[in-house]
Amino acid sequence: MSRIARAPLWRRYLRFIRPDAAADVDDELEFHLTMRVERNIALGMSPDDARRDALVRFGDVQRVRQELVEHDHRQHVSTQRVEFMSACLHDIRFGLRSLRRAPGLTIGVVLTLALGLGVNMAMFSFLDVVFLRPPAGVREPAHVRRVWTEIQFRSGAQFWSGFSYPQYAAIKSALGSNVATALYRSPVETHFGRAEQERRIRASYTPASYFDLLGIRPAIGRFYSTDEDRPGAGSPVAVASHAFWQQQLGGDASALGRELFLAGRLYTLIGVAAEGFTGVELDAADLWIPLASEPRRGATAWWRNHNVNGFQILLRPNENEGPADPALEQRIVAGLRTPEALVRPADTANVVRVGSIIRAQGPGNQAQEVKIATRLAGVTSIVLVIACANVINLLLARAVRRRREIAVRLAIGVSRQRLARLLFTESLLLAFFAAGAAVLAAHWGGTLLRGLLLPDVRWADAASPLHWRVIALALAAGIGAGLVSGLLPVIQSLRTELTGALKAGVADGHARHSRARSALVIVQAALSVVLLVGAGLFVSSLNNIRGLRTGFDVRHVVFGDVAFDIRDSLRDARQAQTFTDLADRLRHAPGVEQVALARMAPTRGFGTIDFYPDVDTTQFRKPFATYNAVSPEFFAVTGMRVLRGQDFPRTPTGGSAMPPVVVVNEAMANAQWPGMDALGRCLRFSPVGYCYTVIGVVENALFTALLEKPQPQFYLPWDNQPAEVGRRFASLVAKARPGARDLVSNELKRAIGEAFPGGRPAVNSFEQFLEPQYRPWQLGATLFTAFGILALIVAALGIYSTVAYAVAQQTHEFGIRCAIGARTQDILRQVIAGSLRTVAIGVAVGIALAIAGGRFVAALLYGIEPGDPGVMTFVAIGLLVVATVAALGPAWRAARVDPVTALRVE
Amino acid sequence: MPVQQEPGDLLQGTLGILILKALLLGSAHGYAVSRYIEETTSDVLKIAEGSLYPALRRLEDRGWVTSEWGLSENNRRARFYTITAAGRKHLRSEAEVWLRYARAVTRVLRADPSVA
Repeated sequence: MSRIARAPLWRRYLRFIRPDAAADVDDELEFHLTMRVERNIALGMSPDDARRDALVRFGDVQRVRQELVEHDHRQHVSTQRVEFMSACLHDIRFGLRSLRRAPGLTIGVVLTLALGLGVNMAMFSFLDVVFLRPPAGVREPAHVRRVWTEIQFRSGAQFWSGFSYPQYAAIKSALGSNVATALYRSPVETHFGRAEQERRIRASYTPASYFDLLGIRPAIGRFYSTDEDRPGAGSPVAVASHAFWQQQLGGDASALGRELFLAGRLYTLIGVAAEGFTGVELDAADLWIPLASEPRRGATAWWRNHNVNGFQILLRPNENEGPADPALEQRIVAGLRTPEALVRPADTANVVRVGSIIRAQGPGNQAQEVKIATRLAGVTSIVLVIACANVINLLLARAVRRRREIAVRLAIGVSRQRLARLLFTESLLLAFFAAGAAVLAAHWGGTLLRGLLLPDVRWADAASPLHWRVIALALAAGIGAGLVSGLLPVIQSLRTELTGALKAGVADGHARHSRARSALVIVQAALSVVLLVGAGLFVSSLNNIRGLRTGFDVRHVVFGDVAFDIRDSLRDARQAQTFTDLADRLRHAPGVEQVALARMAPTRGFGTIDFYPDVDTTQFRKPFATYNAVSPEFFAVTGMRVLRGQDFPRTPTGGSAMPPVVVVNEAMANAQWPGMDALGRCLRFSPVGYCYTVIGVVENALFTALLEKPQPQFYLPWDNQPAEVGRRFASLVAKARPGARDLVSNELKRAIGEAFPGGRPAVNSFEQFLEPQYRPWQLGATLFTAFGILALIVAALGIYSTVAYAVAQQTHEFGIRCAIGARTQDILRQVIAGSLRTVAIGVAVGIALAIAGGRFVAALLYGIEPGDPGVMTFVAIGLLVVATVAALGPAWRAARVDPVTALRVE
Repeated sequence: MPVQQEPGDLLQGTLGILILKALLLGSAHGYAVSRYIEETTSDVLKIAEGSLYPALRRLEDRGWVTSEWGLSENNRRARFYTITAAGRKHLRSEAEVWLRYARAVTRVLRADPSVA
C-alpha cells in the first residue's frame, strides 16, 4: 500500500480550500483497507497476514486508485464547467430581464453605443480596404514589392511609382536573376463592344511575367506567353477577370476564343484569371492585355520612349536568397544611373524606395480623400468617447435609481462579487447588441464611405467592407466600451451602504455622483468643441476654395472636342475647318450665347512651342510656358478678365485681317518681363520670325487643378497662328445662356457626333470638370460638420440629463427656497449658471485641445490657420448657447417646484 | 477505463445490481457494501473488492446512486452511498430480468434427464 502512504500529508488539507480528487480517493480506499485489516485481526490473524489478506481481496490497488482519481477529476471539471455556464446563463437571463424592464434606457444606450461604434467601424472598414488589405488572390503578397522613386514635381519632391520602359529594363538587369520583376499599367477605362452595346470597362496592360510573379493561375484557358508579348509584335489576345467573365461573357468555357472589340481593335479571349483576382490596384481590372499590344504613341515607340513613364514595377525577391529592401534599393539606383535609363543628367541623384504591394502603404502622396479619412478616424474615435461618456451617464443615473434594489440583494446575502458580475453582464449585453448593430453599420457605412471618399474607384466584388478584422474590432471595441461604460456605475452601485440605501428615498443625492457626472459633461463639452472647431475650419476652407477665381464662368462654360480610336491623317487635316464651320453654326443654336474656338479645350491638354522674347534671356530665365490658340470670342466666352491692354480684335471676316498679336496671362508677364510692362513686348516663334506684339494681359486661369502655382500661358490668335504651330488641333468652347447649359451640352454632343462620324464627342461643362476638385474639401466639411453636430447633440443630451438629475436631487432644497420667497428668475439663474460653469470648463479644455490638435489637420486646410480665433469664438459661444438651452427645461422645472409637494416627498 | 472481467467472473453489470441491492437497506460505505455481498453470497462470487469502487462511480454517473462524506460507525471519515429513486427503479427492472433468466435456465437444467 506504498503509494497511498506516500501521498504527502499537506495535500489532505487542500480539500478545505478546493476539492482534491486524489486525497478523497486515498481516504476512501484507505478506510476500506483499514476496516478489512481490523476485521481480519479480530478474526485472529496476525497483523501482517491481516494486511496481506486485505490487499489480496482488494486486487490491484494502484490501478483502481488511478481510475478513480481520473474519474473524479473529470467529474469535477465538468461539474465546474456546467456550474459556470449555468451561472453565466443565469446572469444573461437576469440581465435581459432587467434590460427589458427599462426599455427606454436599453434603447438609448444601445443606440448611442451603436452610433459611436458604427461610425468607427465604417471608417475602419474603409481604412482596412485601403491600407491593410493586400490585393485578393495574390500568392504571398507580403513578398511582392512595389518600386518608388523620388521625382521633382513643380509642387515639390514626391515619391512616384511610374517608370519608363527603358528604366524598367535597366532595373531588371540590375536586379539579376534572383528577383522576379514585372510591370503593368494601372487599369484604364476603355470602350468595349460595338455601337449601341458599347460600354466602359477597365483594361490593364500587363506583360506575360505579371501573372507569374503574382502567383495567379487561370481559372480556365491560359495566360499569354512571352512570345505573344514582344514589344512591337504583341498578339491581340486578352485575359478576363473571373467576375467580368461571369457577368459580361456568359461565364462558361465557350467564351474562350471569343472576339472582343476593344477601343476599335479586336482581341481574342484566351483565358480567365482565378476567381477573386482583379489586379493589384483598388480599381478592379476587367481585362488584361499584353503590354506589347499597347499602341505606340507619337514618333518613338513607348518601349524606347523615356517620356512614356506610367509603368508600375513589381518585384518578388527569391524567398531565401533574395536581397532585402535596402539592397534592392541600392541596386535599383545603380540600374537607374546606367546610360540607357538616364533621361536627364540632372536625375542622377535618384532616391528609390521599395514598399508594400498595398499602394497606400507606400511612400507616395496619399489622395486628399484618404488623408481626410485618416483624420476622420480620429474624429470617429472622439465620437465613440463621447458616446461612452453618455452611456456612463445613463448607467450612473440608473445605478442611483437601483440603489435600493441592490441594497436588498446585498442584504439577502448576494455577494458583491456576484452582483458585480450581474451588473457587468448587463453592460456587456448592451455593448454586444451595440456591436451587432455596429457590424451592420460597418457594412452599410463602409460602402457609403467608399462611395463618398473614392467615387472613381471601381471596387472589386470581393472587396466587401466587412472583413474579419472589422468584425473582430467591432466586437472588441464593443466589449471594451461595455466594460469601460459599466465600470464606474458598477463601482458606484457596490459602494452602496446597506442601511442608508434601504432607509432613504431615491432623491437623496451623493456629491460623488454629481462630481462624476460633471466630469463627464466636461469631457463631452471639450470633445464637442474639438470636433466643432474641426468642422468650422473645414467649412471655412471649403468657402475659401469655392471663392477662388478659376478664370472661367464655371456655371455656363461647356467645352467639347472629339476623339478617335484610330488615327486618320486626312480627317485630322480637315478637323480644324470642320470645327470652325461648327462654331459658326452653333452660334445660332438655342440656348447658346457665344461660341469660341480653341486649339485645346481648357484643362484638356496644353501645347508648347519654342518662343523668343525680346529681352535678354540670359538675364531673365525663360519660363516654361504653354500656349493656346483661340478665336477672339474666347475671353468673353470663358469670362477671363483682361487686366491690362485688350484682347483680340473682332475682325468681321477673320482671316488675314488679324494682326500678329498675342495675349499673355499674368504669370507669364511676371515671369518673362519682371518689373516691366509686358504690353508692347515681342514674342517670336523663330529667331527671325514675325514679332507677335503683346496687346493684353489676362488673369491667370486654372490650368489643371484648383491649387497650383500659376502657370505661365500665352494666347495666339486663331486666325493668325505662326507657321511653327504645326498641325492645327481644334475644340469648341461655348457659353450657355442661364439655365441652358444641359441643352447646350447635348447640342454640342449631337453636332460634333454628326460632323465626325465614327468619332467620340467629348463634351463637358466646366462645372463637371471642377466639381471633383472641390470634392475633398466638400467631404472634409460635410463629414466634420456631421460628426460635430452628432457630438453636439450627444453632449447636449448629457448636459440635459445631468442638470435634470441635479434638479431632481435638489427638489427639497428648491421647495424650501420657494417657500421662503425665492423668485423664479433667481432659481433659473442659479441652475443655468451652475450648468454653464461646468460647460465653460469643458469649452476651455476643448479649445486648448483643438489648438494642440490643429497641426494634424493643418495640411488639409486652405486659407485658414488651425488656431483661427473667429472659429474658436464662434464654437465657444455656440456651445454655451446650446448648454443654456439644454439646461433651460430642467431649470424651469426647478423654478416651478411647488413647496408643499416638495416638502411632502420625504 | 473498463474494469477487466476475468473469465467466469460476474457478467457485465451484475456487480451494479448487487451493489444497488446492498444499498436498498440504507446508505452504506464501500466496505459495508462489500461485506454485505460477501455475507449474502457466502463469499461464493469472490469479487475483487477493488472493483466495487469503479462500479460505484459508474452507478453515480448514471444517477442511480449519490454519495457524500460522513462518519462511519467507528468515527472514521468515510464516503457513504445512497440509492436514488431512479436506482430503485433500475434495480427492480434488472432484478426481474435476472430472475426470469435464472428460472428459465434452472427449468432447462432440471428437465428430464436432470443434470442436478
